[in-house]
Amino acid sequence: MWKNYLKISFRNLRKRKLYTGINLLGLTVALVSFIVISLYINHEWSYDRMYTDYDRIYKINQEFVSNGESQLVPSSPSLLPVTLLEEFSEVENATLIFDLSIFSSVMIDAGEGSQEENHYAMVDEHFFEVFDFDLIAGQKTGILSEPNQLVLTETTAKRYFGSAFNAEGKSMKVDGEEFLITGVMEDFPSNSHLAFDFLASFKTHRHSRNPEWSPSNYYNYVKLKPGTDVAAFEANMAAMVDKYLGADLAQYGYQTAFFTQPVTNIYLGDPTLSVIKPGTDIKYIYIFGLVAILLIAIGIINYVNLATAEATERNKEVGLRKVMGADRVQLFGQFVSESMLLSMGAILISILIIYLVAIPFENFGGVPLDLSLLFTPIGLASLIGLFLAVGLLAGFYPSLILSGMEPMKALGNKLKIGGGAWVRKSLVVFQFFVSMGLLISTFVVKSQLDYMREVNLGYDKEQVVALNYHYNMRESIPTLRDEMIRSGAAVSIARAADMPHDVKAGYKIFPGGDNTREFMITGYAVDPELLNTINLELLAGENYTKSDPVRRDLEENGEMPILLNESAIAEMGWTAEEAIGKKVNVGFTNNALVKGIVKDFYFSSLHQKVGPMVIFNDPEEANVLLIKLASGNPTNNLASLEAIWKKLVPNRPFNPKFLDQEYASLYQSEQKVGLIFGLFSGIAIFIACMGLFGLVSYVALRRTREISIRKVLGATQSDVLKVLSLDFLKLLGVSAVLAIGFGIWFSDSWLDAFANRTAITIWPFVIAILGVMVLAILTIGYRSWKVFRLNPAKTLKSE
Amino acid sequence: MIQLKNLDKFIESRFQRVFILKGINLTIGEGEFLTLMGPSGAGKSTLLNILGLLDEDYEGEYFFGDRSIKSMKERERSSLHKSEFGYIFQAYHLIDELTVYENIETPLLYRNVPSSERKSIIANLMDRFNMVAKKDLFPAQLSGGQQQLVGIARAIAGKPKVLLADEPTGNLHSGQAKEIMEVFQELHREGTTIIQATHARENADFGTRLITMLDGKIETDESI
Repeated sequence: MWKNYLKISFRNLRKRKLYTGINLLGLTVALVSFIVISLYINHEWSYDRMYTDYDRIYKINQEFVSNGESQLVPSSPSLLPVTLLEEFSEVENATLIFDLSIFSSVMIDAGEGSQEENHYAMVDEHFFEVFDFDLIAGQKTGILSEPNQLVLTETTAKRYFGSAFNAEGKSMKVDGEEFLITGVMEDFPSNSHLAFDFLASFKTHRHSRNPEWSPSNYYNYVKLKPGTDVAAFEANMAAMVDKYLGADLAQYGYQTAFFTQPVTNIYLGDPTLSVIKPGTDIKYIYIFGLVAILLIAIGIINYVNLATAEATERNKEVGLRKVMGADRVQLFGQFVSESMLLSMGAILISILIIYLVAIPFENFGGVPLDLSLLFTPIGLASLIGLFLAVGLLAGFYPSLILSGMEPMKALGNKLKIGGGAWVRKSLVVFQFFVSMGLLISTFVVKSQLDYMREVNLGYDKEQVVALNYHYNMRESIPTLRDEMIRSGAAVSIARAADMPHDVKAGYKIFPGGDNTREFMITGYAVDPELLNTINLELLAGENYTKSDPVRRDLEENGEMPILLNESAIAEMGWTAEEAIGKKVNVGFTNNALVKGIVKDFYFSSLHQKVGPMVIFNDPEEANVLLIKLASGNPTNNLASLEAIWKKLVPNRPFNPKFLDQEYASLYQSEQKVGLIFGLFSGIAIFIACMGLFGLVSYVALRRTREISIRKVLGATQSDVLKVLSLDFLKLLGVSAVLAIGFGIWFSDSWLDAFANRTAITIWPFVIAILGVMVLAILTIGYRSWKVFRLNPAKTLKSE
Repeated sequence: MIQLKNLDKFIESRFQRVFILKGINLTIGEGEFLTLMGPSGAGKSTLLNILGLLDEDYEGEYFFGDRSIKSMKERERSSLHKSEFGYIFQAYHLIDELTVYENIETPLLYRNVPSSERKSIIANLMDRFNMVAKKDLFPAQLSGGQQQLVGIARAIAGKPKVLLADEPTGNLHSGQAKEIMEVFQELHREGTTIIQATHARENADFGTRLITMLDGKIETDESI
């Protein structure tokens, strides 16, 4: 029976080429998108699930509360894991990671000159017990338990030594210090939030001999014993805070607490707590999932619409089969087997296409697509499930209609499929609602991206490059600066702790003596040249001069001049003029003197409002060198700067990064969303327009006679277009109204995540809706033109 | 075998009922070869459809054997329809997408006849109608007479007790028509009950009983 169904279905599909082509193409495109998005989501979802007992591994984060203001940091002190291991019976294991790459890069020398490396961390001896990565060379017992030991990843080992086994036992210099390579581990998988090339023993670090409760610079993880009550564990940690930190807390007037975060929650959780790799907002995972389902729905709708539209053409066949004894179930089976066959074809073609698009998509979306997953038992089961679901969903309604026709009416050719019409209309409305909605969303995302690129940040990011700065270079700075400026390639050079768009350090501040008015402030350690280099505007007071003391040279209780931004003095309740000369307590000094007020500038993502900032004269803390290039060709300027650099600091890498590009990378995830929205809204429109083309074709076929008569009576081509398109345009109008509603909701809620957002204008709506309408009219127009060209003498004769 | 009692079929129009069949009383015995004649619109096809369980929209009683069709459940009616009736149409109504072989096979498929049995039934039929060489041709490749032969083969493949034929020779020239009627005669000899509607008096001569209809009523009923 099934063989017979399939045979007939195959012949039917082959006979009706337009119908089959539209459905196959639509379903294939939808399935490719769906499978690719599913693989992407699967990858993001699988983060940090590869460790044994991952559900018992937690990261410990810290909360600081001061004057009712709470701040969450993803790090905690070095004494924490030690204490947890010793004093907490529920803790099975604990480990510490000190990610040096957030501070600066390291120089690695394996005997063939030094190279700059950015993925370097120190970990304690429990690292491999908690995160059970495999070692390719070396022994796990006792690994990284002594100072100056190093574990490389396989790729890194190959890079430096040709193979993993060659690397073991060799030594390398890290910033001049000698390390012994005691092991080579497998590469960190792409779906682990941990991503390093080098792991050095934390024992090397001086803090390891003397762990403390401050600073909170370390990523600490615990593995709890099975059945541990996490809330009770957090409560125990609160008791620990009282025991060890109670006195300090009372003195400085703030509270702190440690809290757990499941390891699987790091990548997809709160973005301010994601570490090592930037996380993905789980919201986007849901949105992409929804988009995937909508695309499939649009493809399925094409089938439903075309199959019901052409049901009238098949009524004779249905009637005959019924007369010959087919019951409804058997007919249903036959028609469903047609959609099943299409679904099967589409899925097979999709898999082929996915192999072609996987690499472009990886480059585009930045996520490796593991195609081998498709052929695991679960992958195959999912593909089969997808095939059945698409085939059934597409075939169900049309088969129901076709199999339900009454035989004598069907045979008599008197049948009109009336009931299907409104269903078909609603489905068309839905398709175009989704297409327009996606397109509006794309434009909204794009306008916010444009806004962020063009907004006045309060400093100049054009023609400014950043170079890594290392403490070792301090002797060379005056000469470097002089020569660079003298060469005419640079205008100004400044040292700073961070890039101006991403300043991290947090301090507490209060106006002289009054610690009840304490608040959190971002601290930016720079040298006096910074204001010039990135063109920060001074509202009152003066910039630092060379004669001002830097932090390191500060005498006990010596006066420390500082600069504050507008937000900081607003928080203090001062005007710019009042503020000058006021005393404040900030971080390390009780004797800071406000020397100048700078205009607010955006020193972190536009997701946040500009907060208070203090600018210290503290070049010792610098990690970057900011250079304002002279006007002229930047390539030439950089070439002359490189020559000077190579001469003066030959052991430091010269890899300039343009500030505006670095700034743009803050919004990578938004850009990705924008691109993916753009891509998939294009696909949605494509599939929907194809469906529209098919539907119009059937309508045109049914109305060929009518159109021919109209033509004989003198109708012009545009009259014919009007006749054919009016009904559809009404439907598109309904879609547009719905899409506008959706668009308003989307732009409001998406832009809500930005403290600094573009205004919603009418343009994204107008462009998206008009664009889709024009495409739809072109689609209908092409079809109506073809009908119009038919010779009425011929079409009417066949009556 | 078949008994109709006071059977009416009408269309309810705005002011009055328009009767298509009125007061039909008819008994058909097993093995009869019955011909319905009458002008167009006399109700021949409607009566055939009702007899063949294709039309259930009528008033009055229809007994098949000793069971009332109206009292049957949908399932029973459907299985009765499958097992007892075969249909032949004026316009042949073969399925264009299927070959000769597959057209004949279709009713067997709907009756869940096992594959090997299907093959032997179809082989016998093709042999009987001399169509073995044409088994892989599509209907469009056959002449009208040949198509109607396939139609007959298809109709009797399920071994129905009753064969219903609506103008079986209406689209054929006289030579082909005669051939079809001879086939009917042969089937009749083998015991099949045949009810045909026709305009051609000469076709009635092949049968055993002739009923003429006019305006939805039976005018005459005679044995031949």
